[in-house]
Amino acid sequence: MMRQSKLIGTLAVLPSFIIVAGFMAFPIVFVLFISLTKTNGLTFEWLWFKNYLELFADPIVHEVFLNNFKFVISVPLVIFAALVSAILLFEQFKGWKFFRVIFFLPSVLSVVVIGLIFRNAFGYYGSVNQFLGLFGNEPKQFFINSNYSIFIIILALVWSGFGYQSLLLLAGLTSINPAVFEAAAIDGAGWWRRLWSITLPNIRRVLGFVFIINFIYTFSSLFGFIFVITAGGPLYETTTIDYLVYLRAFSSSNLGSGAALAVVLYFFIGLLTLWQSQVFKLQRED
Amino acid sequence: MCLVAATIIYPLFFVVATSLRSNVDYKRDPFGIPKEWTFDNYLKLWNEYGVGRAFMNSLFVSLTAVTLILVFATLAGYALAKLPVFGAKFFTTTFVSVMLIPGPVLIIPIYLVLARLGMVGDYSGLILVYVATGLPFAIFFSTLSFRAIPDELLEAARVDGAGFFRTYWSIVRPLGTSAIATLAVLQFLGTWNELIYSLILIQDSKMKLLTPTLASIGKRFLTDQPLTSAGLFITAMVPLLMLTFASKYIMRGLQVGLGR
Repeated sequence: MMRQSKLIGTLAVLPSFIIVAGFMAFPIVFVLFISLTKTNGLTFEWLWFKNYLELFADPIVHEVFLNNFKFVISVPLVIFAALVSAILLFEQFKGWKFFRVIFFLPSVLSVVVIGLIFRNAFGYYGSVNQFLGLFGNEPKQFFINSNYSIFIIILALVWSGFGYQSLLLLAGLTSINPAVFEAAAIDGAGWWRRLWSITLPNIRRVLGFVFIINFIYTFSSLFGFIFVITAGGPLYETTTIDYLVYLRAFSSSNLGSGAALAVVLYFFIGLLTLWQSQVFKLQRED
Repeated sequence: MCLVAATIIYPLFFVVATSLRSNVDYKRDPFGIPKEWTFDNYLKLWNEYGVGRAFMNSLFVSLTAVTLILVFATLAGYALAKLPVFGAKFFTTTFVSVMLIPGPVLIIPIYLVLARLGMVGDYSGLILVYVATGLPFAIFFSTLSFRAIPDELLEAARVDGAGFFRTYWSIVRPLGTSAIATLAVLQFLGTWNELIYSLILIQDSKMKLLTPTLASIGKRFLTDQPLTSAGLFITAMVPLLMLTFASKYIMRGLQVGLGR
């Protein structure tokens, strides 16, 4: 009886396992293999680490990696905006549940939608130029300048991300024991004092979590924004690693090079994730 | 607080308002109140620029993928939560360890695997990819939710002679309804909004999904903002409707996302 039900249980997991193994676990192994070869997808010529060596010597890769670090500016901005909104929400005034849904709104939208909203707004005929025009300014071509372009993408990241993350921080805030606040209030601690000495230290775990997911996000998930807003241009000035993987994969005759880049990205994100779990372990211990 | 909410609402309101006016009217006074309201942009996009077809394609692919995810994930989740499974630890480790793989890393191998299977340019390949990328979280989520089902109920069903599927259908499914609904909403949003795989796996213009179609319309009609805005609203409408009517489920999913 036991043996039979064990068999049924295993059979129930099996379809999922086969699909995940075939289309997620195997591809990870396969991409490692591809990255060590020169290939057009049909024939594979074994190269050992040549793709990687070329990658590390490639000035475009250096530039693109540096671009990713420019997008890291968005991390403190998102967290700051999220923190302010979370603290406001925490006061739990009337209708805060409604605001919670509003804050979540950008998170249900496709990056294509978010990207196009920002591209339209900052386009030559866009509302930003029209608005500046009211004060007699000439319309600007924002997207021919990489600094403007990066700024616009960062703005899109902040706009679309802060609401959801303020909800994460709010969950952290609500788990603080209210007695701590009351005690501080009795001791005569002001609003600011309470914020610095009680609120922030108590949510440092959630803050750390939000910091790291944002950091990882700027290295792994900008593809949609870049594709829609700037297409990586001008030249490679707004191209990120994940976008470069896409470009290399479908425009060059050597898929191995694109695969090597994907593997480098994968290990980099793996390191970040490891770092994240280390940070959490430390925090649990203290 | 209202100011913060306005920074989210105003751009969306602006998109909707813009989509309902002609390009000439928009260029004359973008921030003013439109002289006349029109649905022309929607009609043009839907009928002439393939957005109607793309909408249906996206709906078909998303619904199919979500249904498959729900079936597979609830079966696996039920087994992992309540039944003895050979190598349960191995399965769980596999599902968890692939959960955080970023999409762009896998585009090259997945493309090659699907090309070898003759599934590029075909919905079956795309749906398989969506199911595979959605399953790890879905299994994690349903395992967690089904653990809450009381063992006594399952034991009682077993004593009454109910087999695996009977128990799954008459006990696990009804008791797990709200978890399954949460999962359905989250997975639907994920597939509906997905861009990279729908972009690289489907090239035939008749079969294109909504997000790539919208992206290319945005690039082609740079100077016609009302038209692109209509496209934006068509794409955003479905998730917005879901947020309106199923926000309860979305918020519940959010909490589990944090617990992860």
